[in-house]
Amino acid sequence: MPYGWTGQLLRIDLTKGAATKEPLNLEWAREYIGGRGLGTRYLYEEMDPTVDALSPENKLIFATGPLTGTYAPTGGRYMVLCKSPLTDAVACSNSGGYWGPELKFAGYDMVILEGRAPKPVYIWIENDKFEIRDAAHVWGKTTEETEDTLRAETDPSARISGIGPAGENLNRVACVINDKSRAAGRSGVGAVMGSKNVKAIVVRGTGAVQCADPLEFGRLVFEAMKDINASPTTSKALRGLGTASTVGFTNSVGILPTNNFQVGQFEQADAISGPTIATTVLRRNKGCYSCPIGCARVTEIKPGGKYSGRGEGPEYETIFGLGSDCGVGELDAVLYANYLCNLYAVDTISAGGTVATAMELAERGDIPQEDLAEVGTELKFGNADAVMRCLEMMSYPNGKFSRLLAEGGYRLAEHYGHPELFMGSKKQDFAAYDARGAKGMGLGYATSNRGACHLRGYSMTVEWFAPQDQRLDPFATEGKAAVQVQLQDKAAAEDAVGVCTFASFGATQPEKLFPMYNACTGENFSLEGWMQAGERIWNLERLFNNKAGLSRKDDSLPPRMTREPLTNGAVQNQVVELAPMLEEYYRLRGWDDDGNPNAAKLAELGIA
Amino acid sequence: MVLAHPQKCVACHLCEGACSFFHEGAFQPSKTRIFVHDFVDEAVYLPVTCFHCKDAPCLSNCPTYAITRDANGMVQVNDAKCIGCKMCMVACPFSVMGFHEEKNVSHNCDLCGGDPQCVKICTYDALEYAEVEPIEWMVRMDIAEKPAAAAS
Repeated sequence: MPYGWTGQLLRIDLTKGAATKEPLNLEWAREYIGGRGLGTRYLYEEMDPTVDALSPENKLIFATGPLTGTYAPTGGRYMVLCKSPLTDAVACSNSGGYWGPELKFAGYDMVILEGRAPKPVYIWIENDKFEIRDAAHVWGKTTEETEDTLRAETDPSARISGIGPAGENLNRVACVINDKSRAAGRSGVGAVMGSKNVKAIVVRGTGAVQCADPLEFGRLVFEAMKDINASPTTSKALRGLGTASTVGFTNSVGILPTNNFQVGQFEQADAISGPTIATTVLRRNKGCYSCPIGCARVTEIKPGGKYSGRGEGPEYETIFGLGSDCGVGELDAVLYANYLCNLYAVDTISAGGTVATAMELAERGDIPQEDLAEVGTELKFGNADAVMRCLEMMSYPNGKFSRLLAEGGYRLAEHYGHPELFMGSKKQDFAAYDARGAKGMGLGYATSNRGACHLRGYSMTVEWFAPQDQRLDPFATEGKAAVQVQLQDKAAAEDAVGVCTFASFGATQPEKLFPMYNACTGENFSLEGWMQAGERIWNLERLFNNKAGLSRKDDSLPPRMTREPLTNGAVQNQVVELAPMLEEYYRLRGWDDDGNPNAAKLAELGIA
Repeated sequence: MVLAHPQKCVACHLCEGACSFFHEGAFQPSKTRIFVHDFVDEAVYLPVTCFHCKDAPCLSNCPTYAITRDANGMVQVNDAKCIGCKMCMVACPFSVMGFHEEKNVSHNCDLCGGDPQCVKICTYDALEYAEVEPIEWMVRMDIAEKPAAAAS
């Protein structure tokens, strides 16, 4: 068994109902580290990027990294890759929880789903045994019911990753949920799973992940654990308040997107902030596998109010998506909407973005009354009932307007003649940082290979979150291209190796992560080689996108970002000057004017 | 022994990884000697490992006398004598006897020779290495049931 890897993948031809084990391509694993990189390499090799994302020709890959299943800090992540039905670009959504490590312990580094099952099925993997089983009895069920049912009929210790009603109904912002509330959230990977008629992959494993240099690996990991506990970001902010700790800050400077990005401050922000959550609805915090941070919020709506329920969340992005961006400032409503998204398995960011887009269109009078009648309550900012109703409609679409909601915000806005009101890039909704007040984020959203995403190049860390004396001017454009290039490559390597980006706030900066990878796998990367592997991943994703038909026109931002200044907070009067940053970005990337990697760059990276 | 503070646990299972890595040289939670029971819906996460009970049922039920108490009061399995019958696993009131399939022997917490890796890796202070006298298993059971009864 190769160190860090099980050396095997499971390929499932759903059309034929056949599953086979095959050896992992270890040469690719070395070039692309793992997870996000390796999965992309397989996609790029095996499928035509021009196919319809919801056709059987698309492939769906569940990929772990070499550190997944080890005790490297946050070494429990896996990725879901395919062509996205939302963006028509490459999709690679990252999730934590316990499923990824369980797959490794079962003896597989990846699962590749191909074709389409003739009827709903689930996959049951128990070490070296695997079978495709009928899923008629759980089709249509929520993630929670599905998980309880499938665990009861397989193994009490099994881990489950699957879809809810939204994915079954091909909602373009449907996600894949594992362990009831951890989401491979973005780009509609759940719809692709639904299009393949696969409800879930259930895994139980008792095997091992081997390590090349146990003494060195242990030394590095224990050192990293100390760093995690020493860092205020990881040990105080994230552990104490979760990602919701960010709400107060972004709202105070004016970049908490509110009412579909019409403003950057939300009057009711305090009601949905990290401290409020911690003192009201929080039951306890939770960690994903091998996570020394524990940012997850296990919450419960207090009885006696309009809503009830319990689950995990909300994350900062969810507080924005289902809260401020829809003008909803009731914490219970945000929690309930979050739980619904987990049960239906839709991305809280894009579901929120879609509803917010619909709300703005409706308030402007762009949606005819007969379409709005389907909602049954007034579709306007601040109406929590409308949010709940829209989430239900997009997950169980059965009318014209609900079907439009299930298409995601861009297609909805386009249908009503106002695509410019969709707040995102490559048809994928922005995350919770208004780029007008953090211009590096603007460039990051525009150039992200999977559509707008805060984690591909999380320049908030240097534009706002860094100590004042180390901060880059968030309003400057100069130098932001270089920052994005570096952060994008860094994040690509992290996603590939199988750790969470949050660990890098305290312990696993690239210079500390690559030695951990070396000790685990026995490879001999340098820091330069490590970052270059990240760059290789980024360029391969770009090649996939270009073959899928994307180009410079898709590295764009809506006019609200580039022409309409924010009017409040410390960031007022700012817009994103995208063009100069993009020029510099292409130049630094070694890409031509249309955003294609040039031959010299590809040769340098060894991409054939 | 290793004491657990379940209210501080977040169910990250780092302790299981550290335990198996120390003893087996690989990450394999199925061979761990500390167990985190995560009751997700109830939000209860319970790390539990060997208490080295004063009246250890594993020891008294071992048909081959493979389980003994050492000079430090620690209950230990002698691999050479263990026949893999799992009587100790049946007898243990806390289900903290682990089993090594390939070696066909049972195993319990050995405190990693005095530097328990699970305690060392836990960033949440949910595990503590403390010098405490072993007590009877029934007494411990009573202690465990009291807060549970209060909570229900």
